[in-house]
Amino acid sequence: MSVFMDLNLIYTGDRTGLRTLLETAAHLGFSTVAINYVFEPTSKKKQEIPTPTPINELIDHLPVVQGRSRPIRVLNRLTVVMSDSSHFRPNATEYRSFDLLAVQPTTEKLFHAACMLYDVDIICISVSEKLPFFFKRAPVNGAADRGVVFEVSYSAAIRDSTLRRYTIANAINLMESCKGRNVILSSAAEKALELRGPYDVTNLGLLFGLSDGDAKEAVCSTCRSVLLHAETRKTASGIIYTMRSCSDSAGQEGAPGDPEHGDPPAAKRHKLVLTQ
Amino acid sequence: MSVDLDHTPRCLLVSDRSSFLHEKNRINSQVEQLNFNYKVSLLLPECGSTPSHLDSMLNNFSTFYLIRKLPIYELLDKRFLETAVYQGCVYGLSYRTRIDEDICVALMPNGHLCLSLDKDSFQVLGVEGKASRFSHRTKSRYVVSVDMTESSMVPGGRGYLRLLTGLKSRLPLKSDFLLSHHPGGGASLQALLSRYDWSEHKPEVSTHALTCLSCPTQLTSIPPNFDPHSFLEWLGAVDADISCENSSCSFLSSLACPEPKTMLSQALRVSVCGLLLPQDILRLIQEIRCYLDQPQLQSWVALTVHGFVDSPVSWGGREHGALRGGENFYTLLMGEDHTYHLHLVTGAHDTCPP
Repeated sequence: MSVFMDLNLIYTGDRTGLRTLLETAAHLGFSTVAINYVFEPTSKKKQEIPTPTPINELIDHLPVVQGRSRPIRVLNRLTVVMSDSSHFRPNATEYRSFDLLAVQPTTEKLFHAACMLYDVDIICISVSEKLPFFFKRAPVNGAADRGVVFEVSYSAAIRDSTLRRYTIANAINLMESCKGRNVILSSAAEKALELRGPYDVTNLGLLFGLSDGDAKEAVCSTCRSVLLHAETRKTASGIIYTMRSCSDSAGQEGAPGDPEHGDPPAAKRHKLVLTQ
Repeated sequence: MSVDLDHTPRCLLVSDRSSFLHEKNRINSQVEQLNFNYKVSLLLPECGSTPSHLDSMLNNFSTFYLIRKLPIYELLDKRFLETAVYQGCVYGLSYRTRIDEDICVALMPNGHLCLSLDKDSFQVLGVEGKASRFSHRTKSRYVVSVDMTESSMVPGGRGYLRLLTGLKSRLPLKSDFLLSHHPGGGASLQALLSRYDWSEHKPEVSTHALTCLSCPTQLTSIPPNFDPHSFLEWLGAVDADISCENSSCSFLSSLACPEPKTMLSQALRVSVCGLLLPQDILRLIQEIRCYLDQPQLQSWVALTVHGFVDSPVSWGGREHGALRGGENFYTLLMGEDHTYHLHLVTGAHDTCPP
C-alpha cells in the first residue's frame, strides 16, 4: 500500500479557503493532494488555458500530515471539460506546467477517443448529470491497458441529494464495465467541509460497487500509479528526462577549447604508419 | 447490478474454552505469542474501587523507552546485539508509522527483525524479502524478515553486511522507536539509548467507575449463553463508553446488551496503555485468579488485551496488515472456578490467531 492521496481539490481563487482546504487534507491524513484547475472551453470565444499558481505563493508553510513527519505534497492538475474534439489539443505547451492532466468527455465519441488516443492521465466521470452514454468494455479495457484511470468524485454527493443519485448510478455503471480496476476516488472539494478521511472514502467505494481491496487501492496504490504515469508523459517513456541547467554563463567558462583562443579541442591524432 | 451492502468487513474469531487447572491449556502460549500489546482493559463487575493488590500489579508494569529518530541500522550494532538481542528479551516497535502507508519495523524477543516496506523502499534496500500475503492486484507491500541469531547474520557475516549497508547507505531509515527489555533493565539498552534522544515512560493507568450497567447474565456458563460476536460487541461498547440503551430517540448507537440481561449497580473499568510485555500480562492474569478465589459478589472478570494496529507482526511473528482497521486483540473472560473463555480476534488482513 502506498500513501493516501486526494487528486482533486478545486481551485477557486480564494487563497484562505485553499489554505484551509490543504490544512484539513493534511489533518485527515492525505499525504499528497492535487489542486485542480478546471478548464471548460466554449466554442463561442477563445479562452486561455489557466496557468497554475506556484505552490509557494499559495501557502507559506505546507502543513504536516497527521501522524507522520513529512509535510503534505501539493501538485497541479488540469481538467479539460470536452464537448468537442477540438477542445483538447494534444501536445499543447500550456499543459507542461501541470503535473497531472485530466479530461472529462461528455459524449460517447469523445469518451472513446479519450480512452484510446489522448495522452492524458485521468478520465473524469461526470457526476452532475445522468450519463448520456453507456460504458463499453472495449474503450475501458483500452484505457486500462494504457494506464489511464477513471475518476469518481464524491463531494457533489455530499452537497445535493439528486447529485447523490447520479454519482452512485454513474459509478456503478462504470464499475460494471471496468470490474473495479483502474479507478480512483477523489473529492472535487471546494470547501474544507466537503473533504472526507481516507478510510471513509474507502467505505464510500463499497457503495459504488468496489470490493474491499479495490476500494482501498482506489485511494492509495492506483493514485500512485497515476502519478508515475504522469511522470512518464513528461519523459521518454520514463527512461530519459531533461533538466534545465541553472545558468548558462557558468557553463561557458569551463568549456574546453574555445575556438577564439586558437587552441583546437583535444582530438585523436591519426597515427602515421612509416612505410619503407 | 445491485451493490451487496450486507457484506460486512471480514474478521477472524477464534474461541477457546478451558480451565487454568487443566494441564493442557494453551493460555500461556497464546498470551506469550502476542509480542506487542498496546492496551489492557479490565472490567470488574460489582466493584467500586480497584482492589489493592490488583492496583499495585497494574502500576508495576515494566517501563518502556521511546527513542526519537533512531536510525534503524543501530539495531544491528554489535554491542546491542550481544548485550540485549542474543539474551533473548528485547521488544522493539517503530512508533508513529502507519502499517498501510509507511515503513514499519519490529524487533521480536526471539531475535527476528521484521521490516514492512512499500515497493519503492524494498527495491532500493536490496535485501531478500517476500511480497506481503495481503496484496490485492499488484504487490505493493513487501516484508523483510531477518533472524539475527542465524549464522549468516553474525556481525561480519555476509547477510549482516548486506543488510547493514542497505540500511546505512541505500535506504537510511529513521523512525521513532519504542523499546522494552525483559526482565526490567534498561542497563543493556543504555549503550544504545545514550547515543540518541530518549525518554522513559511508564504505562498509563486510567480507572473509570460505572454505575447502572446492564450486563448479560450467566456469562461464564458452559455451554456459553451468548455467541461471541454479541458478547464482544457489548464489551467493546462498555469499554468505549457507548450507550447500550438503544432508546428510540437516540440515533447515535443502536447497540444493545444481549438478552437475558441484568443490571449491575456498579462496575469498574481499568485500562493500561503503553508497550506492554506478555510476561506482565501473565502475572496480571494470575493476580486476577487470586482475586476471583476470594469470596466475592461477582463471578467473572473480563480482560481484553489489544495489540498494536500498526505492528508488522501479530501472533507468533506472523504477518499483520490493516485493511480498514488493523485490530488484533483477545478477550479473556475468567470465571470463579478457574474456568475461562478466550476469544481471539483479528481483522481482514491477518493470519488466523493460534
